[in-house]
Amino acid sequence: MRRRDFLKAAVAGGAGASLGGRIYPRTAWAQGPIKIGMPAALSGGYAQYGIQAKRAADLFARDIKAKGVLGRPVEFIFEDTAGDPAAAVRKAQKLVEKDGVKFLTGVALSSEALAVSAKCPEWKVIFMSTINGAGALTAKSFHRYFFRVNTSGPMGARAVSLYLAESPMKRFFTLGSDYAWGRDSVASFTSQITAAKKDIVGADYPPVGTKDFASYIAKIRQSRADGVYLVLPGQDATIYLKQAHQFGLNREVKPIMEILELENMKAVGDAMVGAIGSSRYPFTVDTPKNRDFVKRFHELHGLYPDMFDGETYEGLEWLAQVIAKAGTDDVEKVIDAWEDSSYDGLEGPFFMRKCDHQAVQPGFAVECVKDPKYPHPIPKILATYPGEKVTPKCRTEEFS
Amino acid sequence: MANLLEQLLNALALAGLLFLVSAGLSLVFGILRVVNFAHGVFYMIGAYLGFTTVALTGWFWPALVVVPPIVGLLGALLESSTLRFIYRRPPIYQLLLTFGLALILEESVRVLYGPTAKGVEPPPLLQGAIDLGGLLYPRYRLFLVVLGCTVGVAVWLFLKATRAGLVIRAVAQNSEMADCLGADVARVRTLVFGAACALAGLGGVAAAPMTTAYLGMGISVIVDAFVVVVIGGLGSIGGSMAGSLIVGAAQTWGAFYLPETAMVIMYAVMGAILVFRPWGLFGEEE
Repeated sequence: MRRRDFLKAAVAGGAGASLGGRIYPRTAWAQGPIKIGMPAALSGGYAQYGIQAKRAADLFARDIKAKGVLGRPVEFIFEDTAGDPAAAVRKAQKLVEKDGVKFLTGVALSSEALAVSAKCPEWKVIFMSTINGAGALTAKSFHRYFFRVNTSGPMGARAVSLYLAESPMKRFFTLGSDYAWGRDSVASFTSQITAAKKDIVGADYPPVGTKDFASYIAKIRQSRADGVYLVLPGQDATIYLKQAHQFGLNREVKPIMEILELENMKAVGDAMVGAIGSSRYPFTVDTPKNRDFVKRFHELHGLYPDMFDGETYEGLEWLAQVIAKAGTDDVEKVIDAWEDSSYDGLEGPFFMRKCDHQAVQPGFAVECVKDPKYPHPIPKILATYPGEKVTPKCRTEEFS
Repeated sequence: MANLLEQLLNALALAGLLFLVSAGLSLVFGILRVVNFAHGVFYMIGAYLGFTTVALTGWFWPALVVVPPIVGLLGALLESSTLRFIYRRPPIYQLLLTFGLALILEESVRVLYGPTAKGVEPPPLLQGAIDLGGLLYPRYRLFLVVLGCTVGVAVWLFLKATRAGLVIRAVAQNSEMADCLGADVARVRTLVFGAACALAGLGGVAAAPMTTAYLGMGISVIVDAFVVVVIGGLGSIGGSMAGSLIVGAAQTWGAFYLPETAMVIMYAVMGAILVFRPWGLFGEEE
């Protein structure tokens, strides 16, 4: 076969294949697909979060494939933001204006979420957060088109504070990354832990992407704290825990993490055993629905779901339910149907309150433990708190 | 006292790592006149290959010996297959090319290794902390101090005291004249680029037990390395040493004593250098 013939054949085959793909939905489905846009960090230092969102979407797409929503197929369109807020806005705009998506989700960092969410009222599309922790999103920056399915940073801080209030630890140091999520969560933790008559003995805000925590470790050691409250995104937390272990600090000052992630446990390994914290979604939660989810997830991806695998899957399933309930994918009608609705989540009951679109859901305090059944340390649930106890007052970051 | 010693060691350990990266960046600019954006990625590749070597052999030491030549070879191949053809074009072409290479290499690493950071354990000899008169200090960081000093002295001696070093300096000073006098300039460029990448790879292997191997570590280090090179002077090894010490100290001491302004200090020093001595502390005025 000459090169030219081969190319012709390849082009013809490709055209046929793509044509086939286009014809199929028209014959099998009532209308065009319901499109969900995911401007996610799929490359760069925070890719692990975007990839979790994508893994959840892949599983959900497989689960919903047979029946669709409203008799229409669900189509995911991914765009890579590399964790950059400006890129996130650009990619989101492309998804809305060019691809015509009505639903945006999968945004990884709070800084990206604040930037993208601000544009959604103008675009008239729904922003569904399944990852973003910054309290401001459902408080100061709240608007009608924003929904948060996941546990927020202040809610995580709340669960840990409730747990620590009962513990013998008295003195705490806070170390939060210098951006929205880090500052919000530390503020929330500080006000709650002082209300529980405990002391904050020091605070620092290292820049995002810090690779040497030696100076902070020295200060934490000097503060003679019992525990250090860490609000560091993925990679930063891994580096901190590694280095604190090398300095022998983890034995003296207990690491307490705003989010205790599998990603960290895999990278840090045994040096992380004993760390406590909150989990947005611990895959070890023992409900029938979750056991089944973990099994299906493991079949598809060959690993155990991390926090945002679970939270994103819940968001997508809930959104599909709400669209079915509204009987249309019209944005305004979907918003009305979603407000004050309930959903049976993986880890318990969810409720979307109308006042600030924050999903009320159980909160967890967990500990990193070794279990011979798993290839890496896992989160063991220490305490479960009902949604009312861990969700802040409406449109605030405060708790009653 | 223990506190001051700890701060000093912290600064030296970070400076050691920064030197391994910035020395190569500075050399490449001196010889090739190229600002190599991909340099940090070779550091990252070194860290990931270090992880692979440790995973395969169960030993850390072989990684220090095996990985740098592999990274160097990769660098030399890329130089002779891409950069070589555009030295005569305006600098923007070289910037775009090395930036593109950086993106391609970084994403290749992500595809191969996945997004999860890879932890590397230090060798048993260097695990845990050592008691320095009441100060618990990680053995591994002391090793970084020693490694940075050793490599610094070795590179400096190589450039000053060997014939190959002489040729390299000649090419750096005036490549056309060196060419006329019989130096194979193309070969010198490839070898220097490879050697610079090998140094970055060594830095990556050495950094892995301290920071883990992760995506984005190349970008994060290259920013610091540029600051080092601007402060120290492009093309000067002594300048890279001095710059690494200044940036290492500014970052660690800044974070300790003036946490709110830690980031500013480093850039303020750089700004001052650019205003009062644009060729850097050890660079030569052009």
